[in-house]
Amino acid sequence: MERSFKKEVATLRLRQGEVFHGEGILAVTKALLQSGVSYVGGYQGAPVSHLMDVLADASEVLDELGVHFEAAANEAGAAAMLGASINYPMRGAVTWKSVVGTNVASDALSNLSSAGVRGGALVIIGEDYGEGASVIQERSHAFAMKSQMWLLDPRPNLPKIVDMVEHGFALSEASNTPVMLELRIRACHVHGSFVCKDNRAPALSRNRVIAAPEFDYGRVCLPPSTYAQEKHKIEVRWPAAVKYIRENRLNESFSGRLDDIGIVVQGGLYNAVMRALSQLGLADAFGASQVPLYVMNVTYPLIPDELAGFCAGKRAVLVVEEGQPAYIEDALNAILRKADLNTTVVGKTVLPMAGEYTGEVVLAGVARFVEGAVPRGLDLAPIIAAYDRLMAPKKKAAELLGEPMPARPPGFCVGCPERPVFSAMKIVEKDVGAFHVSADIGCHTFSTLPPFNIGNTVLGYGLGLASAAAVAPAFGDKRVVSVMGDGGFWHNGLTSGIASAVFNRDDGVLMIMKNGYTSATGAQHIPSSGSNALNQPSDMGIERTLKGLGVQWLKVVRSYHVAEMARTLRQALTTKQKGLKVIVAEGECQLERQRRVRPQNAKKLQAGERLAITRFGVDEDVCTGDHSCIRLSGCPSLTIKPNPDPLRQDPVARVDHNCLGCGLCGEVAHAAVLCPSFYRAEIVHNPKPFELWLDRLRRAVIGRLRGRARVAQAADLA
Amino acid sequence: MSANFNGPITLLIAALGGEGGGVLADWILDVAESAGFPAQSTSIPGVAQRTGATTYYIEIYPERAESLAAPPVFALTPSPGDVDIMVASELIEAGRAMQNGYISRERTTLIASTHRIYAIAEKGAMGDGRYEAERVIEAGKGLAKRAVMADMAALARTNGTVISAVLFGAIAGSGALPVSRETCESAIARSGKGVEASLRGFAAGFAAAMGAPTTPAANAAAAPPEIDRVRRAFPVETHGVLEAGVARLIDYQDAAYAKTYLDRLEPILALDSGAGHRLISETGRHLALWMSYEDVIRVADLKTRESRLQRVRREVGARPDQLVQVVEFLKPGVDEFCSVLPGFLARPARTLARRFGLEARLNIGLKIKTTSIGGFLLLKGLSALRRVRRIGSRYAEEQAAIERWLAAIKGAAVGDPELALEIVECARLVKGYGETHRRGLGNFTAIFENLVEADAALADRKGAIRAARAAALRDPDGKALDTAIAAARAGGLATEAGTAAAGA
Repeated sequence: MERSFKKEVATLRLRQGEVFHGEGILAVTKALLQSGVSYVGGYQGAPVSHLMDVLADASEVLDELGVHFEAAANEAGAAAMLGASINYPMRGAVTWKSVVGTNVASDALSNLSSAGVRGGALVIIGEDYGEGASVIQERSHAFAMKSQMWLLDPRPNLPKIVDMVEHGFALSEASNTPVMLELRIRACHVHGSFVCKDNRAPALSRNRVIAAPEFDYGRVCLPPSTYAQEKHKIEVRWPAAVKYIRENRLNESFSGRLDDIGIVVQGGLYNAVMRALSQLGLADAFGASQVPLYVMNVTYPLIPDELAGFCAGKRAVLVVEEGQPAYIEDALNAILRKADLNTTVVGKTVLPMAGEYTGEVVLAGVARFVEGAVPRGLDLAPIIAAYDRLMAPKKKAAELLGEPMPARPPGFCVGCPERPVFSAMKIVEKDVGAFHVSADIGCHTFSTLPPFNIGNTVLGYGLGLASAAAVAPAFGDKRVVSVMGDGGFWHNGLTSGIASAVFNRDDGVLMIMKNGYTSATGAQHIPSSGSNALNQPSDMGIERTLKGLGVQWLKVVRSYHVAEMARTLRQALTTKQKGLKVIVAEGECQLERQRRVRPQNAKKLQAGERLAITRFGVDEDVCTGDHSCIRLSGCPSLTIKPNPDPLRQDPVARVDHNCLGCGLCGEVAHAAVLCPSFYRAEIVHNPKPFELWLDRLRRAVIGRLRGRARVAQAADLA
Repeated sequence: MSANFNGPITLLIAALGGEGGGVLADWILDVAESAGFPAQSTSIPGVAQRTGATTYYIEIYPERAESLAAPPVFALTPSPGDVDIMVASELIEAGRAMQNGYISRERTTLIASTHRIYAIAEKGAMGDGRYEAERVIEAGKGLAKRAVMADMAALARTNGTVISAVLFGAIAGSGALPVSRETCESAIARSGKGVEASLRGFAAGFAAAMGAPTTPAANAAAAPPEIDRVRRAFPVETHGVLEAGVARLIDYQDAAYAKTYLDRLEPILALDSGAGHRLISETGRHLALWMSYEDVIRVADLKTRESRLQRVRREVGARPDQLVQVVEFLKPGVDEFCSVLPGFLARPARTLARRFGLEARLNIGLKIKTTSIGGFLLLKGLSALRRVRRIGSRYAEEQAAIERWLAAIKGAAVGDPELALEIVECARLVKGYGETHRRGLGNFTAIFENLVEADAALADRKGAIRAARAAALRDPDGKALDTAIAAARAGGLATEAGTAAAGA
């Protein structure tokens, strides 16, 4: 795993009255234990990976409480775990990255919501939206609406988040409905503090087992139960939820001097709105606002009479709702219409329809709203001046700088084993012409960015091969290449891709990146890692699985062997043999490898043992500054420097001190017949006496030879 | 910010993945919390961690928490015009912060390292794609309330630590945080890893913010040997380049070759009437580079020099007590062998190779250990072929191409010195080895045949050549160049449009 959480595990043991300092997502983890969960599961992904990681390291704490933890095979598996709460009064929580994880989970979530729950069921979703997001931009809100699950969106400070976790379970139980708790990226990573309560051991758990199974056909998702369940949702569960939310004041109303206007805001955006109001001089730094606010810590269901009550007597309200469609704004319009109120609802007319609501965006929206609404008793001039003053530096910078800064897209790490595979693809592409590449989700998706620009489509995690099913035949004899990581393979690619392709006798090439972990999410373990999240051994090889599924053409190639990889890929593309051809590109995630190797090397050096380290370099006087090598690699440690030659102007290539000696530079220089500037240097620490002797001998001989040559050269010139 | 809003101190850190930006944020948060100030930090790691640009954002309310009636409401994202301390671990990231409006005259202390980590678009360009660094530095001075800009990566290196420690020192030294130096240093001590090195880096950053000079002296180019003829016959503005050219060619071949060089330049001198003698110095620069074309002999020569092993040791950071073994990656092919053979042997050999489709396939991948006696001898032997370089087929080809180029320059210089200069610059395209060289020469020839030597009247020959040259450097497949040439020849009108289309 990328990080060890031994230190954080200690915070999970904090007692009543002690103060937790740390990250938002870890505060949620502590809140789960305080709420007496029986089980926790999930699938890793930013920004909620740390919830899973810390629990994987916390087996002792979990054992004491009897809490079961499981790293599920995918989000559907995680969601299905919540089935435990259908029949039994067990609290459980699962987590994943949304919206993608919720997509995968939605089959189980629909059935769960229909059946209803007895024990509190909570889904913690990391809403991967906006700046820093890595997935398609959609709202998870729609899932709550379509399945009638309740959606919490707490104000992003730790005490409120923890409070809403606890309320979430109670709400779930009060309304027999699963509840989703949405945290945006920055809220997951926010560092703050809250005062703890004691952890609670669950009533039913591994330590206190269920006495007898319960059978209730009413909770099985088959007709006629499903018809009754739908009615129950509307007639019983929904009103119960509204009652709980109202009675426990989960949504918050703040009054203000300018009472003919107001702002309705999702809890998660409260801080952004407060900052905008402060910047415009309409609030202080501690939450006292001149504009009344209605803060929705629950964004679904809405509480119509609370909203109507807030809007009554106001000429205009601003709805600050991130993403689209504007469900809340539309619903508020409907609520006001039914309540026969003519308050103007302003939302997406002053705020953008799409994209993250950053400080800058919210400020612009609030300023425009206030300017347009003209509240009674407010001089607008200082507000407009404040806004202009804030925006001035941006204009001035544009004047001074002109063209935009070069973008810095993420890419493969130094020494990444996946980079050479795409270098090989580039080289093969030159020979056989461009081919369609059906890409997948994982670190390897970086292949779509410069310098490779490989990968025509990305359809979802583990779906690289499945997404080639229809396009491959349309290319006729020219084969399509699909890419899949080992993470995607176990997530669903094994069935949706490989089983289907073998079953349907598809002809194509699949490249499996076997780096050992789900590296993009923080190097969590997968079935082929050799052990599970709790470090118990596993014995589930990819190659054996492929053979078991009937894959006939299977080659395993070390990913750093560019020439061999290129040869194998060319063969796969051109062989007469029909059917699926799988190349397993083998090479351990370099981040993870270094985490293991570095301390070992440090120990060797300390003990005075021999240690050889490899580094690559470029001869600055041989390099001519064409940068082909960079275009075929993109390694962060392969960069440029000013040309030391006074006659040359183009910068020369250079390998910086981050080089791990993976060997790709040399391989590419060879495989692509590039240039002779690269050298490999082996630095021997604590050399053995024989090596030292040999080195001295060699240097003496070479020095002699060089000396003679120099004399000859001098004679030439004379 | 309006006068009645006493908001928190806001601090934004722009860093690259793996630079320790998270550690820096933790130190700052620790400093604030140990002073009893309410504080909050956020970040957007995720994929940005994988080598991309990322940011950390911190807010601190500079009063003890218990003295406040209510906890402050902290923002999770920075806003334009509302950042007190902007920290950038690299120059372009500082520029990005400026473009986002985070650096204001009223509020912002800018702390930026001036070193460059080149973005992929800058590195991968076929020529020089670097962003102009000076512009960012100047803009920083113009925009910030106070700018602390120094090469903090160099400071980190000399102090054996990471850049985050130096940046932390510079923040403390700038006085923009209301905490003492000691408080900051104890936060480093508490974090427990590599404390001593971090404290050294911190001290260096602190001193830099206090105004200590950190700019290393520019490295002067090695003084070229005196060549009387250059000094006597050529204008003083050109001496730097021409002397370097002469030195290079003696080093490459011999004194006679350097004489040829000056013989070739003299007729152009007569035609160069422009101010600053740009035509002669640019021709001199490119001619020296072209005449010292890269071949196996040259590579073998450069790789077997004594100074080279010293440079390798320096570059890989080897200490004197460590052994260093060096392996070269060479892959000579038909071209390389033929280039040292005389023309009458090389031509049929090439024809044969081409007929059997072996031209690109006969390359032999060699890994030669230059630190072993055998490997050294092999390369030294190759470098000795220098004496017979003149009978090789490549020599003849290159000299012919050079003469063709010089003739075109001379032809143009009579009527239009500007056009001559454009033709001179085309030599920039021919460089490198193997595939790179073939591609460059192909581009050069295409421009020469279609735009330089073509009789057809071109509306703007200079512009067309310039556009085609830029296009040739835009993509390795030559698509942009084809478009540019076609555009120039089709009526020779819209070369500008051609460039735009090629760039799209």
